[in-house]
Amino acid sequence: MIQVRNISKWFNDKQVLHNISIDFERGKSNLIIGESGSGKTVLLKCIVGLLNPDEGDVFFDDVHFNILNHDGKREVRKQVGMLFQGGALFDWLTVEQNVMFPLQMFSNMSNEEMQERVQFCLKRVNIINSDNLSPSELSGGMQKRVAIARAIALNPRYLFCDEPNSGLDPKTSILIDNLIEEITEEYNITTILNTHDMNSVMEIGKKVVFIYKGNKAWEGSNADILESDNEQLNDFVFATSITRKLKAMKK
Amino acid sequence: MRFFHSLGKYFIFLSRVFAKPERFYLYYHQILREIVNLGISSIGIVAIISVFIGAVLTIQTAINANTPLFPHFLIALAVRDSMILEFSSTIIALILAGKVGSNISSEIGTMRITEQIDALEIMGVNSASYLVLPKIIAAMLFNPILMIVSNLVGILGGLIAGTATGIINFDTYVYGLQYSFHPFYITYSLIKTVIFAFLITSISSYHGYYVSGGSLDVGKASTKAVVFCSITILFFNLILTQLLLV
Repeated sequence: MIQVRNISKWFNDKQVLHNISIDFERGKSNLIIGESGSGKTVLLKCIVGLLNPDEGDVFFDDVHFNILNHDGKREVRKQVGMLFQGGALFDWLTVEQNVMFPLQMFSNMSNEEMQERVQFCLKRVNIINSDNLSPSELSGGMQKRVAIARAIALNPRYLFCDEPNSGLDPKTSILIDNLIEEITEEYNITTILNTHDMNSVMEIGKKVVFIYKGNKAWEGSNADILESDNEQLNDFVFATSITRKLKAMKK
Repeated sequence: MRFFHSLGKYFIFLSRVFAKPERFYLYYHQILREIVNLGISSIGIVAIISVFIGAVLTIQTAINANTPLFPHFLIALAVRDSMILEFSSTIIALILAGKVGSNISSEIGTMRITEQIDALEIMGVNSASYLVLPKIIAAMLFNPILMIVSNLVGILGGLIAGTATGIINFDTYVYGLQYSFHPFYITYSLIKTVIFAFLITSISSYHGYYVSGGSLDVGKASTKAVVFCSITILFFNLILTQLLLV
């Protein structure tokens, strides 16, 4: 479980996060949604420690994460997997080497064991016969899947995904979403996804937090969204006339 | 004030670069990769520039010393000492600051804006150390070889230009090369080369590592890296010359 308590963040004089508190549950896909520029990426980066919050606390289970020094944070991060918006695969390594990298860096496995683990992870995300390709030779969806394989290589306890569906077609997006959800449940991981893809919200949003102008404006599940009277949430989720009609029909 | 802020940030960056590596053998592979990227790939440009510098030095020295009081073998001596003392260390370092410095800065800057550095940090890897230390070690190991290649090729260039134009014959040139030779000049040049290699790789890595924004900012960081490397090389050249030669 990851707990965020009263997080605030300023950039110069501009406050981008206002006193946000959330509990992210284990074994569930926790979604942070909001408009572009609402502060959800800043929130995710504050949680994972890529940015330091100006106020508030972050707890990874019992560990008070944001007061740790650089080395302490690095120890916690060895249990963290992260899927970045663009995949962030290492250019100078092949697909196989990318997935093997965290194992080489932090595990004491033999070369055969590492190979076995890499093949298992790649198979888990349906990447086959691409071991020796470089990241630039892969499609966007394949890059995301390899990034997921790399993120789960060390059996992380926490998985962070920043806009996992950006730049992907709806069908591939659903595949990625389902993959993340399966992995989350299979390995009992605390997963936090940052997205503005409504298909993802409806597909895997067991817990959804809506961020509006840096504030936590709403919290619930994907089923609750249809019943919500929150004006900002409805404006965001049901932005098109078709979805507004669907909501009206549901009511 | 901004200068001191950047200087402090640079030293903090270096303290992270020189932290204990997580896995030595991964660093070893990176060092080999960087030797190829930064060192071996620079042999061609260093050789081409050096051969022309040596040739031009020979011709210019001959033109300026066209008097019976000036023995011809001193042309070779002038070429030898100019190459060893200044051209093969300082001028080649300035050229490498342009080639290697901009390469390092844009490579690391691109890794920053494509979140590859964040990915390393999230994994718990000391990204500064993993990405930069192998470059520093590779350059400090290989640049002395480049400097030796530059000296040899430069002196050869001088010989070719001298004999081809009839300025000096082979035996006189070789005599001039051997005349009044101070082996310490080689040591002095090697010391400068190693220090310049450190400056080029660390300064350009620093500029790439702290890029924020997009591809335009990577370009700006690259330019800044080359400018700062060049100025620092010239400054340290002065200090080292005063310390080692005077």
